Amino acid sequence: MKNNPLSFSVNLKINRNQNQILSFDYWIVLSVIALCFFGLAMIYSASNSLEMTIRQGIYLFVGLGGMFFLAFSNFRQMEVFYLHSFWPALFLLVIVLFFPSENSETKRWIDLGLFTFQPSELIRFILPISAASFLTRNLKTEMKDMWLVILLTFLCFYLVAIQPDLGTSLIVLLAGMLPVIISGFPWVYIYSGAFLGILSLPVIWLSLYEYQKQRVLTLFNPEADIYGAGWNIVQSKIAVGSGGLFGKGFLNGSQSQLNFIPESHSDFIFSVIAEEFGLAGVCMLLFVYGILIFRLLLVAFQSTNRFAKIVSGTLSIVLLAYISINISMVIGILPVVGMPLPFLSQGGTALIVNLLTIGIILSLRKEV
Amino acid sequence: MSLFESKKDSNEVFRIIVFLSPFIFLLFSAFLQILNLSYFKADDFKTQSESNRLYQSKIFPQRGFIYDSNNILLVENNIQQDLQINPNIIENPSFFLKQISDLLELNYSKIESDFFIRATGKNPNEPYFLIKNLSEKQIAKISVNLEKIKGAEIISSFSRNVLHKEIMAPVLGYVGNISKQEIFNNPELTKYSGLKVGKTGIEKDLDSALRGDIGFRIQERDSYGKLVRNISIEPPKKGKNLRLSIDLELQKKLFYEFKGRKGALVAIEPKTGLIRALISSPTYDPNLLNTINDYDEVRNLFSDQDSPLFNRALSGQYPPASTLKPFVGMAALEAKTISWEKEILDSGEYLVEGDERPYRGWKEGGHGKVDMNKAIIESSDVYFYSLAYDLTVSNLSPFLEKFGFGEQSGLTIREGTGILPSRKWKLGYKGESWFKGDTINMGIGQGYITATPLQIAVAYSALANKGELVQPRIIEKIGEENTETVIKKNISLIDDLNWKRIEKSLLGVVEASNGTANNIYDRNIRIAGKTGTAQVKSIIETEYELLRVDKSLRDHALFVGYGPVEEPKLVVVAIIENGESGSAVAAPLVRKAINLYSKK
Repeated sequence: MKNNPLSFSVNLKINRNQNQILSFDYWIVLSVIALCFFGLAMIYSASNSLEMTIRQGIYLFVGLGGMFFLAFSNFRQMEVFYLHSFWPALFLLVIVLFFPSENSETKRWIDLGLFTFQPSELIRFILPISAASFLTRNLKTEMKDMWLVILLTFLCFYLVAIQPDLGTSLIVLLAGMLPVIISGFPWVYIYSGAFLGILSLPVIWLSLYEYQKQRVLTLFNPEADIYGAGWNIVQSKIAVGSGGLFGKGFLNGSQSQLNFIPESHSDFIFSVIAEEFGLAGVCMLLFVYGILIFRLLLVAFQSTNRFAKIVSGTLSIVLLAYISINISMVIGILPVVGMPLPFLSQGGTALIVNLLTIGIILSLRKEV
Repeated sequence: MSLFESKKDSNEVFRIIVFLSPFIFLLFSAFLQILNLSYFKADDFKTQSESNRLYQSKIFPQRGFIYDSNNILLVENNIQQDLQINPNIIENPSFFLKQISDLLELNYSKIESDFFIRATGKNPNEPYFLIKNLSEKQIAKISVNLEKIKGAEIISSFSRNVLHKEIMAPVLGYVGNISKQEIFNNPELTKYSGLKVGKTGIEKDLDSALRGDIGFRIQERDSYGKLVRNISIEPPKKGKNLRLSIDLELQKKLFYEFKGRKGALVAIEPKTGLIRALISSPTYDPNLLNTINDYDEVRNLFSDQDSPLFNRALSGQYPPASTLKPFVGMAALEAKTISWEKEILDSGEYLVEGDERPYRGWKEGGHGKVDMNKAIIESSDVYFYSLAYDLTVSNLSPFLEKFGFGEQSGLTIREGTGILPSRKWKLGYKGESWFKGDTINMGIGQGYITATPLQIAVAYSALANKGELVQPRIIEKIGEENTETVIKKNISLIDDLNWKRIEKSLLGVVEASNGTANNIYDRNIRIAGKTGTAQVKSIIETEYELLRVDKSLRDHALFVGYGPVEEPKLVVVAIIENGESGSAVAAPLVRKAINLYSKK
């Protein structure tokens, strides 16, 4: 077989083309599309800005296009591309520090005139795929490869952290470490790493910006400064709580419509959903997310390919991390860090990257 | 190989599950928190969200108008526009204030200091008035630039406007913000906070009628405090209008007669007790206090030596002086210590056994032999010294009490009571026992006895009514309700003829050639009256001519009269402080008042 890779590949391709439609996971596609369009509606409700909604709609179609492109692609052919795309992504991550968009105080965006995008979102997507590809290039993963990935992960983490963007930098750390861990990093190192992490907490605390410390502190007592640092959390909790069982109705949430919730169209979009659709709406949302995550994990569990396993496993966990951390911070059980709700929050780069994630996992699924 | 594969496979899946689990756990705890918020604590948060968006604000009622007895408007309300600031919305206060000061051409540092003083005092998020009483030009400028100065809003309110300022001030009084003391005295007022209430005068006495009821507006506002829509409105209730008994025409003419001199005048309709004119001079512009725009002016007003805010007609306590004599005479007739015809020799001095110094009469050499008629007409002091001495204070005071001396007339709680001295009073207030000399002085309305012009007017109304003591009134109508005449009591004498006799003597004061107020004689409209010269300082020790040098120690001039005698329409008391001669200074005022009113 190895002697004639070309013929094999062609054969395989024909076979696959025939059952491509069949193997396509509709659960994933439908839940993602449902989430995205629901997200558009919620962005409109939260911002009351048709312009912002249309803009997000355009990103959505670009993202869906990318998703389907990747979904129909052959990931084996793409692997080399994934492997090397790490370097341009890293390059952009460095570039943004020197040429950030001037519209923001942080160095998160690169301004391309028509639109801006976040290299940090790109790296948290490229890094795990590239790492997985790198780690699985041989049958058995070598320790020095793992250490290299860890090193680069910390580099990326650092570059994002100094933008500053604590939320995304933690995600980058997670996304970079997971391929190493899943591919068989010895438990003893994992334990010692976690132990070291806990030990370094005071150092991390000291290196935090004042506003970041404030966010952590307000978590424990948001009522201490209702009009200051605690405002976001207090208002967001009021929104979630006042939604009750069935919510106040679409476009009827007083907290969001009257601008009591900050960033209601981006990071705090969950509180708008909870306010307008209540506990029932939240359950529905979590149910759809549940289906999506479950189907994505299934790819990892069912695939016989290590690369597919590592990539879909990592990306699923990262997706779940986003969802759980965003919701937790919105309802006041985690400090406020900039972390959007996947498929729902306003923000072009995040949406497109998330859709590309799904596209890749869909393409991996064909290996099942 | 396949075994190895599957083992490796399970290892990867296991690791995925291990690293998935903390997030599943996190999501699960988040779900529990959501359940807690939106199910168990939902009501709590619903209330919070309602109070977040709903603003209840007061709509202040329009205070009732006040008219004179001929339905001439005396007090109205102006619409005042104030600039209200909502600190919630202002992001950069100094920039905001700079814009305001540029726009309105106002001194920046003054606005800034106002802003920060107000901002530190209260709830920092509560809206408050930064600039009051905007001019039309300022309003126009603000309205055009409202978008630029986010956080500013023009709020209309009513301000009280007294139309005949000084002339009506002592009657009407003024309004002001509710003080802590007022809330302490009347906790009901808390629900009227923000409203101005009457501080004195009619504004105070009838505050609850004039005030009206506050309305409420529930509005939906966004987190910047910007109005989204009105939810509900409960309109305010306008205060009741009042009609006073004051005759503006009469009041005005008499006021100008005072020419700024210190004094008071009260004109009462004896049959009804309705007060047709009430003057206290000097006076003030109540609008200065109704809308305080200049604190310096207000400070001057309160520190004025002539106390323009003091209502002399109601609260000024003067010795009634000779105006008391008719009552002393009646008391003696009642006690039968003298008869109408009995004559006493007035040699200009009255000597009491045991007292070394004589009590002097006002006229050197005396009036010769005088009976009561002559004693009243010529105002003999010696005659009444003697009368009082024989009568004793124990008989005199209770009789005077019948005519309302020593107690409030019931017009308002703000009036003075005067002093009706008695043995008990002197022991209590002075810690001394009563001397005969005290009674003698009281016989001519001097010494400890004092009365307000209103009290004297009420007492003379009873004379004019031949015994009917009316309750003075100044309100004719509250809203649609008329007030009614109240006869407090009917004073009866043992001999009804004495009413006539006294009236004849009082008529003599004006009409007899030897009458002390002969200068105001007018046969067309006959007035019965009595002059008085109230000593500011006892002249027993010092010669009056020495005292005269200091104007504030000169005698007060009094005159009280009623007329036309046949059918008394008006009882008028006039006091000019330090005016010296009752007949020359005070009597013409009374004549003028009665003439003006009789012609109506």
